Amino acid sequence: MDFFRKQVKSDCEELLRRFQETDSVRFEVFSKIWREMNFAQIFYGTVGHEKRAFSRLVLDSTCRFFLPPFSFQIRVGGLYLLYSLYRCQTASPSEQIRLALKDWDDMKKFEKDAVDAQHVDVVYIFRQLMFLKAFHFTAMPTQLTYNKKKKVERSALCEEFIERASRPQQLINIELLEELSNIHDLYKKLKSSVSMTTEQADSSVNLIHKDLVPQLRSTVVDFYKWQQRKVRHLHRFLFKIICMCVFLDNISCSKRAGLLASIKSKAYGQASEVCALCYRF
Amino acid sequence: MTNAITYITHKSLRTSYVIQGDSMAASGPSADGNTNIPDYEYTDVNTTAFHIGSFRNEWLSRLKAEDCSYQQEDDDAFDANFAKEMGVAAETMTELKSICSLDSLRCHPEDEQPDTEVVPPDPTLKTLVQRKKKQDYRASLKVTKNRHDLYADELERLTVGRRPEEVADLVPEGEVILTINIYYPAIFEKFNYIRPHMTLLMTGSHSLAELRDAICCVSDLQVCGEFSNTPDIAPDFISKDHYKSAFFFFEGVFYNDMRFQECQDISMTVIEWAKARNFPPHSQAKMEDTQFVDLKVKVGFPYLYCHQGDCEHLVIITDVRLAHRNDCLDKKLYPLLTHKHRVTTQKCAVCHVFIGRWFTTNDQFAPSEPCLFCDKCFRMLHYDSEGNKLGDFLAYPYVDRGAFN
Repeated sequence: MDFFRKQVKSDCEELLRRFQETDSVRFEVFSKIWREMNFAQIFYGTVGHEKRAFSRLVLDSTCRFFLPPFSFQIRVGGLYLLYSLYRCQTASPSEQIRLALKDWDDMKKFEKDAVDAQHVDVVYIFRQLMFLKAFHFTAMPTQLTYNKKKKVERSALCEEFIERASRPQQLINIELLEELSNIHDLYKKLKSSVSMTTEQADSSVNLIHKDLVPQLRSTVVDFYKWQQRKVRHLHRFLFKIICMCVFLDNISCSKRAGLLASIKSKAYGQASEVCALCYRF
Repeated sequence: MTNAITYITHKSLRTSYVIQGDSMAASGPSADGNTNIPDYEYTDVNTTAFHIGSFRNEWLSRLKAEDCSYQQEDDDAFDANFAKEMGVAAETMTELKSICSLDSLRCHPEDEQPDTEVVPPDPTLKTLVQRKKKQDYRASLKVTKNRHDLYADELERLTVGRRPEEVADLVPEGEVILTINIYYPAIFEKFNYIRPHMTLLMTGSHSLAELRDAICCVSDLQVCGEFSNTPDIAPDFISKDHYKSAFFFFEGVFYNDMRFQECQDISMTVIEWAKARNFPPHSQAKMEDTQFVDLKVKVGFPYLYCHQGDCEHLVIITDVRLAHRNDCLDKKLYPLLTHKHRVTTQKCAVCHVFIGRWFTTNDQFAPSEPCLFCDKCFRMLHYDSEGNKLGDFLAYPYVDRGAFN
């Protein structure tokens, strides 16, 4: 069955790529792409015990899209994909989705985020999978057979699906700070060696802040906190707008519905974006 | 010698793990400090060591009772619950249900039932293109039926989703199921590449001795000795009954089989050898007193089963998980065989039909030296009608390594 691994991966990535382009986390958008690609047919043509083995392969290879480091939207796509594959498989009784103990917290966090953002369809699909008992609660995501490869074939994660840390945090990381403080120490020593006369270095050669490194670090942390706050404000703000719209009864019905839909879609679009922003530091 | 060895008994093992488990729990559920949440030691190769019983408790403490129950809850209750919790109106709920229904995933017209056994024409998915290619290739071969596929289908029929007749035989909810691969001894060059093995499912309450009994290996069935004068009594002397000692080796502990009087502690040789060379110390325990839930193991890591003195099998626990309603839930069917590598058998040199049962040397009737015969051909060729030995030859009983197929 390993025979199909590459093909399955690239088919799934194609589906998720199309889903990503839509900038949406709605299930109807996903199912439309699913139908367009005739994705249910992926199970056709397997017979006998192959059915089970293929279901296993497909579920194992899509499970990773549901977990970090992928962005919120891709993870939603991964969840929808798991649900759809689980429901459409031809093996009977069905093969289960493997869920590892170490991934449980990530998954719960995902569910909570979806609840907080009021993505009702995401939560519904997730709870449905739990309700259908679609999960095997396992030790590890796949069965392990001490498969040491001489040539390590890096299972390349699809780059564009991975969520990015914000730029300032990316630029100023721990390694950079360490490097900077080392250089700073060297610089200090150099200065004191120049001015041999006094213990304290001459203040006239103080061109750079004394505590540059801690300052830089606290600035980035402040930025992060501000960013978080902003995200929360934005959420609240969007929620207020939606509430307002509901009460705008004086606008004619059809116009109101249209307005509501457009604001909603914008809000959700941004919300999924913002969520992606606030996960990492 | 056995008196000198103090065995770590089942009980003391368990208490030591319980203490460990408790201290873990006290330090809080954070993932970092908890060694019973398995993680990779080497990615996609094997995990760090963890205690199976505590691992199960970690899962059970996270899950609600219904998550690992075998009962299917009510559909309507789920909907009502969901609507209430998320604050969704009945109208929206109906819409949500229809959006997320199976119908929205259907890729064919409603009134048409597609043939799922064949690859649809003009596939666009890469998987289907590949499958089509493979099927076309298979069709071009002369042999259409693969015996291995038939065996695998049969085995699946016998194992998947079996329910017991008596409630008492039901695997309890929340029990752990282990998947264990037992590899054939790598005595052939080829076996280094294809890794033939059998796969057994066991529950956490099984003891290692039960695993031992479920492993079938031809070296247990060998008959030692030359029986050309008395061919009828040969089958009474199989090595399983003669040499009952065996051990498993998991994470620095030798688990010896000590169920019978004749059992010897065959791990002592290794332990003393290791001690003399300053290896880390090894301890011992009894196989029959150790349940899987008491074990501390790495998933995916190769361990050892040794019996008949030097017949060595690698043992890999490939999976540990909670039992699920679709599993085989009949306790009586465990240890459950789910995969078995079938090896080719060597046939009788005379009839070429039956599997060889006798191995002869110095044999004037034989076409080769040594030579294999099935029981019938062997007796027809080497004995007269009264069962008297004809001519001069040596005959040894032979058990083919494919005898368990």
